[in-house]
Amino acid sequence: MSAAVYEERLERMWQSRPGVLGWVMTTDHKRIGLLYFWTTLVLFAAGGAEALLIRTQLIQPNQHLVGPATYDELFTMHGVTMIFFFIIPMTTGAFGNYLLPLMIGARDMAFPRLNALSYWIFLGSGLFIYTSLFLGMAPNAGWFDYVPLASRQFDPGHAIDFYCLGIIFNGLASTLTAGNFIVTILKLRAPGMSFNRMPLFCFAFLAASWGLLFALPSLSADTIFLFLDRNIGTHFFDVAKGGSTLLWQHLFWIFGHPEVYILIVPAFGIATEIIPAFTQRRVVAFPLVAVAELLVVFIGFGVWAHHMFATGMPTVTVIFFAAATAAVVIPSTIQVFAWCMTFITGNAQFKTPLLFIAGFIFMFVAGGLTGIMFLAVPFDQQVTDTYFVIAHFHYIIFGAAVFPIFGGMYFWFPKVTGKLYFELPGQISFWIIFLGTNLLFFPMHLVGLAGMPRRNYTYPAGLGWGADNLAETIGSYITTVGILLLLGNLVVSYFRGPPAGADPWHGATLEWTIPSPPPEYNFAVIPKVSSAYANWDVEDREEDRRRLAEGVMVLDEGHEQPVSSPVDGWFAEIAEMPHDSLWPIVLAVALSVVFVLLLLHLWMGTAFALAGVMLALLGWHGEEPEETDA
Amino acid sequence: MSDYAAGVRRGGPGLAVWGMAMLVASEATLFGTFIGSYYYLRFGAQHWPPPGTPEPRVVVPLILAGVLATTSLPMQLAAMAARRARLWAARLLLVWALVVQVGYLVYEVHDYARQLQHSAPQDNAYSSIYYTLLGADHVHVAVGIVLVVWLLWKLLRGLTTYRLGAVQVVAFYWHAVNLLTLVVVGVLLSATL
Amino acid sequence: MLLAGCGGRQDTLDPHSHQAGDIANLFWVMMAVSFGGLALVTGLLVFAWVRRRRRGIGGDTEGPHPGERTGWFVVVGMGVVFPLTVIVALFIVSDWAIVNITQAPAASSTAMTVEAVGHEWYWSFKYPGTKAVTADELHIPVDTRVNLVATTADVIHSFWVPELNRKIDTIPGQQNRILLYANQTGVYRGQCAEYCGLQHAHMGMLVFAQPEAEFRKWLKREAAPAAAPTTALERRGERLFLDGACSSCHAIRGTSAKGYVGPDLTHLGSRTTLAGLTIPNTPSYLARWITAPQHFKPGNQMPDLNLPPAQVGALVAYLESLK
Repeated sequence: MSAAVYEERLERMWQSRPGVLGWVMTTDHKRIGLLYFWTTLVLFAAGGAEALLIRTQLIQPNQHLVGPATYDELFTMHGVTMIFFFIIPMTTGAFGNYLLPLMIGARDMAFPRLNALSYWIFLGSGLFIYTSLFLGMAPNAGWFDYVPLASRQFDPGHAIDFYCLGIIFNGLASTLTAGNFIVTILKLRAPGMSFNRMPLFCFAFLAASWGLLFALPSLSADTIFLFLDRNIGTHFFDVAKGGSTLLWQHLFWIFGHPEVYILIVPAFGIATEIIPAFTQRRVVAFPLVAVAELLVVFIGFGVWAHHMFATGMPTVTVIFFAAATAAVVIPSTIQVFAWCMTFITGNAQFKTPLLFIAGFIFMFVAGGLTGIMFLAVPFDQQVTDTYFVIAHFHYIIFGAAVFPIFGGMYFWFPKVTGKLYFELPGQISFWIIFLGTNLLFFPMHLVGLAGMPRRNYTYPAGLGWGADNLAETIGSYITTVGILLLLGNLVVSYFRGPPAGADPWHGATLEWTIPSPPPEYNFAVIPKVSSAYANWDVEDREEDRRRLAEGVMVLDEGHEQPVSSPVDGWFAEIAEMPHDSLWPIVLAVALSVVFVLLLLHLWMGTAFALAGVMLALLGWHGEEPEETDA
Repeated sequence: MSDYAAGVRRGGPGLAVWGMAMLVASEATLFGTFIGSYYYLRFGAQHWPPPGTPEPRVVVPLILAGVLATTSLPMQLAAMAARRARLWAARLLLVWALVVQVGYLVYEVHDYARQLQHSAPQDNAYSSIYYTLLGADHVHVAVGIVLVVWLLWKLLRGLTTYRLGAVQVVAFYWHAVNLLTLVVVGVLLSATL
Repeated sequence: MLLAGCGGRQDTLDPHSHQAGDIANLFWVMMAVSFGGLALVTGLLVFAWVRRRRRGIGGDTEGPHPGERTGWFVVVGMGVVFPLTVIVALFIVSDWAIVNITQAPAASSTAMTVEAVGHEWYWSFKYPGTKAVTADELHIPVDTRVNLVATTADVIHSFWVPELNRKIDTIPGQQNRILLYANQTGVYRGQCAEYCGLQHAHMGMLVFAQPEAEFRKWLKREAAPAAAPTTALERRGERLFLDGACSSCHAIRGTSAKGYVGPDLTHLGSRTTLAGLTIPNTPSYLARWITAPQHFKPGNQMPDLNLPPAQVGALVAYLESLK
């Protein structure tokens, strides 16, 4: 038997159904990743449109493009969309899903049907919450939705119910994905890939997944309490009856602060794979960087009340949280200097992906420095809730999350499509976006220091804010042009780009050892791994070719995937993976019905819909893997 | 046939238990935030429960939680029996656990309804968190019962490695729920301290 | 058209108190250090581009980890030791020294108390120990430590006058306090700094820091009941106010108007602005406000009354007479 025969058998074994049904029923992590990718791009466009409307309204004092009611919906939906419906699903859903199994030498995620369910729930939650916009009742109390403003007394109607239910619904998708990633990273690594031989990308996604798993419940509890207060008449947040206004804020930020690390840590993971490829050097101080990626999220759970320094908490509490916030700086500075030293001690080739990473480092450091300023509590108490903090978090989010996402799009474009992108338009798109975002966000520091609060639908003349706002708005248009150029480049390259081959960059990790685009089964032979830079281990790759020719570790008897021990990566057993299935989308639809009925306050109907969910779960678990020996 | 892997073929129960561990971690954290909220509200209050709201009963809930916790024994024994392919032992152990669990839930639902006649979640923050925390625990017990019934139905057609995994996973879930119930009851009863 | 509120800016970097001054100085130092840090990292990236064809550092150029030793030095030195030092220094200065003067003052260290209550969408100010109640424009004596007690009548607001001190949120069920102190006479602008609904953007306030004697005169006048109308037009305005919808939402002390939804209007005539600094207090603007408040502050609690201009004229005359 030869390699070609094995590959053909695997091809038959792993083939998806043809056509649309194949996409609807898919459990293949690559297809699911692509579904997430396109869906989040549409939602990114929505969030971007919201931003452009905000910026245009603020171009000069006292404009009337939109009134306050619409403006309040715009800034709320912009925040909710960008965080829950762009960054998280793009990094974890798109990049994570597509790349994680490839990087660890696996054929799919640990729970492929659950993975598909995550996507359909995500899509359902996006449709759910955007329905509110089309009905003119979008959430309007800010993305962190403070009570009492978000209580029924001050926000009657369905807007905040859309928020509560939409957030819980969306959170289900992220929780399932997080659990899936953790088990995949711990158990499905190729035999030989011990914990310290994982690519840094995997450390980053593991950290982010733990973060999601432990942070989301706090948000769920918060929104459950608010939904109950608004619709059943409970008093969690009602001070008159023993409730607490600040309880909302504590629960929110216990989620919200880890969330912002969850936003950027996967992007760190993307950056730490682009850097080795374009410097042809392993990352400096690898063990420190790996630990730092885990520590950032871990310490990030202890700093939440730094979002509440102006609420009148006791001084000792305030000082504790300032100290914890100080601690979280160190893992970030470790990573920044490790990346810079890798640039310096390697042969840095500033192609488009690496340009975006250089831009990311610049923006992340700028945003991080203003973040450090916030641990000076009196200064925080001056500039919190102003444009200074908007500048800070946009430098971080746009700089540290979006720039690596853009760089990653270019970097892995050849792997996903089999084509090369056009380099010159790529570089131009970088510079336009870099200039645009700096013009957009830098003046926000100035105007915040000059006293402009956030979430104001307009502002008066005569306070010196007009010029900066004008610059910011122009910056937003320039950024949009750059992003359109980037996306246009990728589209044109898809149709007209030259063929890329398996390994155009001589990248470091396992995805570059397989064809572009990858076959359904990813790896014909489960790779032999001795380091975190497997593609550069020439002898191991030769061993793989030998094994394939001999049929060793080909696992073609079924839909098979090896399972390893979590720390040492020793081969434990073979798992039979599920094939395409309709149950994920069916269950997602059943869950959507539950949430719609809750929104409409049809409690009896909700009970029936929950029964429907149970039935879907029963059907799902009615499919059992084939037994060859019981 | 790929000979290297021939000897180690199985249907993959291991991953399912990891998956349940993820669910348990997430739910435990959810309850952790409920409990944290309970104490946050408590330490902001002068009187807990507030005047006019009855204190929880101590002895009966504690005993019942203990009784529920004993079902971890038959659940674990059922998993071990299934692993040794002792199908009838597994079925009987599951039935034993189910009878106790159903008895527990029936009593608790009745008691929940009785308590609602004397105070409502809409009275004040104490009753809001009390009924929510307790109700959430009961929901998890109910789900656990559904899981055991499902297991018994699956086992009607015999044992396979997949179904062995199912028994192990449901046993794990029940250990978590039993521990959770003890904690929740302890928290709610701490109001009397 | 809509002016800045006739005086006063909100510039955190133009401090007029010890507190705001310390915070501003802290910022300048942090900014200098930050620019240094950003320049350093940018420099490293540029350096990487300049020597992009060379691997490693100095003699250490071979193998899969060229220059690794130097790399570790930089990562540990610049990534751990140096930031830790800077952060500890920053922490000590700001969160041990400065924070003690920006947190709530000991009530005994202050000379007087003012109560600020946030409403959707205006500020009411009371002077305990007197009957004085006003809205949106607060007077304090210069060089005096004022204990400002901030509360809310509805949702979370935030009291913020940047040139005088940091902000303090108003939380339902809580009494939060900060020090209000101005070291120079003048007008200082502030604004609500916690999103509180539709007209959060138009919830500004002015703090007038006056010499002690002038302040005392102002306070005496402010505490006194409303001046009786003197002209026929003003009397007509008073009748319209008390018999019409106005008195159901507004209070004018010394009359039967005791509404508490909208701001106290007892001495409206002596204020410089209207509607939370949205428009100046002139007869023409006041007339336009009374006719169509939704035009200036859409969504605010005062409905468009569509009164005939003659009635509006009388009301304006009366209200402007309330000095």
